[in-house]
Amino acid sequence: MPPSPVNPLNPPAVLPGSASVRLQGLSKSFAGTIKALDRVSLDIGAGEFFALLGPSGCGKTTTLRLVAGFETPDEGRIVVGGRDVTEMPVHRRDMGVIFQSYALFPHRTVAENVGFGLRMRKIPRQEIDRRVSAALAQVALTGLEGRRPAQLSGGQQQRVALARAIVIEPPVLLCDEPLGALDRRLRQQMQFELKQLQKQLGVTLLFVTHDQEEALALSDRIAVMNAGRIEQVGAPAEIYERPRTRFVADFVGEINIVDGTWSGGRLLAADGRAMPAPPAAGRDGPGAIAIRPERTMMTAPPAGLLSGRIVTTNYLGGQTLYRIAVDSGASILVKDGRGEGNSVRAIGERVGVLWRAEDAVVLEA
Amino acid sequence: MRAKVDLGVIAYFGLNGAIVFFLLAPIAIVSVFAVNPTPYISFPPVGFTLAWFAKFFANPDFINALWLSLKVAAAVLVLSMLIGATAALALVRGNLPGARLATALFMSPLMLPAILTGLALFQIYLLAGIGRPIWGLVMGHTVVAVPYVIRTTLAVLHNFDRRLEEAAAALGADPARVFLEVTLPLIRPGVIAGGIFAFIVSFDQFPVSLFLVVPKGETLPVVLFNYMKFDLDGAIAAASMVSIALALTVVILLEWRIGLRAYLKL
Amino acid sequence: MRKSQTTRRQVLLAAAVSGAAVAVPAVLRGQSSVLKITTWGGKWGEIMKGKVLPAFEQEFKCSVEADQAFPYLPKLQASPKTDPLYDVLHSNSNEQWQAVELGLVERKITAKEVPNIADVFPYAVSDKIVGVSIFTSAVGLGFRTDKGLVPPTSWNDLAAPTLAGQRGGYLIPVNSLGQAHLMMLGRIHGKGFEDLDAAYKALEALKPIKLFDFTGQMEKALLSAEVTMGVLHDSGIFRYDGQNQPIEFAAPKEGVLALEQVLNVTPGSKVKELAFAYIDYMLRPQVQKELAEGVWYSPSNKKVRLEPKYDGKLFNTEAKVAQLLQVPWQWYNAKKDEIDARVQRILKG
Repeated sequence: MPPSPVNPLNPPAVLPGSASVRLQGLSKSFAGTIKALDRVSLDIGAGEFFALLGPSGCGKTTTLRLVAGFETPDEGRIVVGGRDVTEMPVHRRDMGVIFQSYALFPHRTVAENVGFGLRMRKIPRQEIDRRVSAALAQVALTGLEGRRPAQLSGGQQQRVALARAIVIEPPVLLCDEPLGALDRRLRQQMQFELKQLQKQLGVTLLFVTHDQEEALALSDRIAVMNAGRIEQVGAPAEIYERPRTRFVADFVGEINIVDGTWSGGRLLAADGRAMPAPPAAGRDGPGAIAIRPERTMMTAPPAGLLSGRIVTTNYLGGQTLYRIAVDSGASILVKDGRGEGNSVRAIGERVGVLWRAEDAVVLEA
Repeated sequence: MRAKVDLGVIAYFGLNGAIVFFLLAPIAIVSVFAVNPTPYISFPPVGFTLAWFAKFFANPDFINALWLSLKVAAAVLVLSMLIGATAALALVRGNLPGARLATALFMSPLMLPAILTGLALFQIYLLAGIGRPIWGLVMGHTVVAVPYVIRTTLAVLHNFDRRLEEAAAALGADPARVFLEVTLPLIRPGVIAGGIFAFIVSFDQFPVSLFLVVPKGETLPVVLFNYMKFDLDGAIAAASMVSIALALTVVILLEWRIGLRAYLKL
Repeated sequence: MRKSQTTRRQVLLAAAVSGAAVAVPAVLRGQSSVLKITTWGGKWGEIMKGKVLPAFEQEFKCSVEADQAFPYLPKLQASPKTDPLYDVLHSNSNEQWQAVELGLVERKITAKEVPNIADVFPYAVSDKIVGVSIFTSAVGLGFRTDKGLVPPTSWNDLAAPTLAGQRGGYLIPVNSLGQAHLMMLGRIHGKGFEDLDAAYKALEALKPIKLFDFTGQMEKALLSAEVTMGVLHDSGIFRYDGQNQPIEFAAPKEGVLALEQVLNVTPGSKVKELAFAYIDYMLRPQVQKELAEGVWYSPSNKKVRLEPKYDGKLFNTEAKVAQLLQVPWQWYNAKKDEIDARVQRILKG
């Protein structure tokens, strides 16, 4: 196990102030394409760990690049720490940026990479050396000052990129899939370290990812984006437990979506039976509810709301994920660890499926 | 199965050996010719002499031409690196309308027989009444050398990770600093590789020079060609050896002083 | 021996310079004009640049810009006719014919412009010549004396079966000796220089034959015994005189081909008077002697007296120059493309 980058005996050298980030109606189109961003507004609090989550092409990276200043918005304003930076060139914005590819200068040593931002700020040589050493100590890279990026492992390069970004004490740190190039093990460790560092520095961190697990694990809040728009903003638990739209429900974790028709506050399945759902007064017409697999249960066939046959079983250790082909033709996932005797059910077995009304989430049309 | 593998290995080394042989055989023949006392190519050599080298170095025509060739090639090296690198940057980064057409235009001297380039420049110079000054010769060589620099620089620029420049900008570097601190150092291997091509293209240039040299201002290849029409002896071979050695020296010096070892894959 | 000879030549040349200075038109003296000429490289170029041209510059108070870099004709052609790149074009006869067709040089030069023309052999200003021939070489057969060959006496000896693959000729499209030889074949085997069918047939009979671009390559091939007999001009053999090389020149009984060194002026020249003066200078007996003995060219001026060594070998008497055959270049140049294509087919097969 490599040493933790945050050494308790070596307190953080930098404790920058953090700034809030406010995006107001940002739109951006690229030549010949549809709108990459469509009136995106967001309020990110100072010191917040904020994730932009979505599939590729959803506009999350464009949003980040607008904040960094690499692109200019067609419409809208960007306000950082109460200052409008929309027209400000990149090099005056004081943002820390970490790229998926790390973008380390291949022709410079680790120390030169980390000290680059300080040198641009015309800080005296000695202070640069001191702060570079401190930043490298913070990411546990002391001793590698003279190496070139090509001589480092992926994890080490990631840490150099991190040190280079934080050494300038930015009020806002922008990370574009910073862990995307790492293998799973390293990635989990770096997630933890990044989170700790962010809390320690108190920096506002805007984080772009397509990995919902990473977003859920790290963020204070998440904005789920789709096709240039924000679908939902909320804390991880809220996003997971209470997805507002079909897209969010689908994108974040595994979920069952049951389609039906609202009538008198109840969702009716195709066969006319009411599906358990929170009462939704005033809704009418086609609609859907979503239920997480771990909130669904299996019973003997006749007792269920839906009944079907087990198609696949996937033992997860402690729990088993079943895919059940229900008679109406759809398929339902059930994550079950509480069944009688914890015995794994067999493929082909006929079962009934049910859930509690309060576990179902009503999706917006 | 085993036999097959061995055959493959034999074919591999055989082919590579043949390629190396065909590349080096002319140089070997010339070097034998250069030190063989007979005034014609004969094998096996009948002795060893440095008389042809002495003849080469004693002939002011050769030495003046050699100096001129070196001076012209040095000027072409610098000019074509400047022009080629800036042109490549403009073509890739400039968002210019018709950049593809401009690229084709810059590359066109490579498609055109060089002798036509020389002839065309010759006529332009005469029509413009500027005669045939040395800078005219340098320009002629530069025209055919620039495409090499553009090519190698474009290759580097196409693989260039622009996020490196964004990272530098985000760290507080203004556009000029970004160029000096990041862009330029990273395209340098491509520019220098092209510059070395340019030097050699100029130093060995015959067709373009043919029309652009003036009496008493002839480059070495032209002098050698004309010498060969009247005296075909070992001095020609000695001259070839000297120019190979000089070109090699320049390439090695450039490599060593400025550093060709690319940290970028070309 | 050699040294004393050189000294003598210098004295002669100096005498020529001082003697002629009086005769120079006043208009030419005192002006610092530039005469642009073409000239050969090699030994010829050395003598020209070492002695002949400096003496001319001094005498005529001008500077000479001598271009030794081929190709003269395309360069001249590409330059404006009213301000030509050269004032005097020095080339072989076939190129002069090409040049005159293009209007790049004058057709004739007479004793009126160049007084020394009064003393030249008739071939130098014959109707086969554009301008004036200042020297000629004789194209015949060069052969090795150490291979047991009977010295050739006829052009036909080159076709001897024993010489298969050992005989040398030229790439006819690029070499004027090759072209002249082809016409010679027509004359020997057919109705005359212009009998191409006979020439083609005779060329076919010379296969297998080694082909060269330049005469210099033929010389080296003879020296290295790569070929034992080949078409060559006499000066290409005589220049190795005194070097103990086993090669000799033979003048075939059917006649030798003239390889003329022709000078001519360009119509647009801005220093025409100087250009004619230069040609006249090149025809002076002393200058002719200097160059003739330097490169083994036969001088055109009848009044040139050569050292015995040269006298015996070069074509410098009425009787000897009668052996020189001049080929119809104007006719040949007009047919060149057609001949090139045909010859290439013959020699490829």
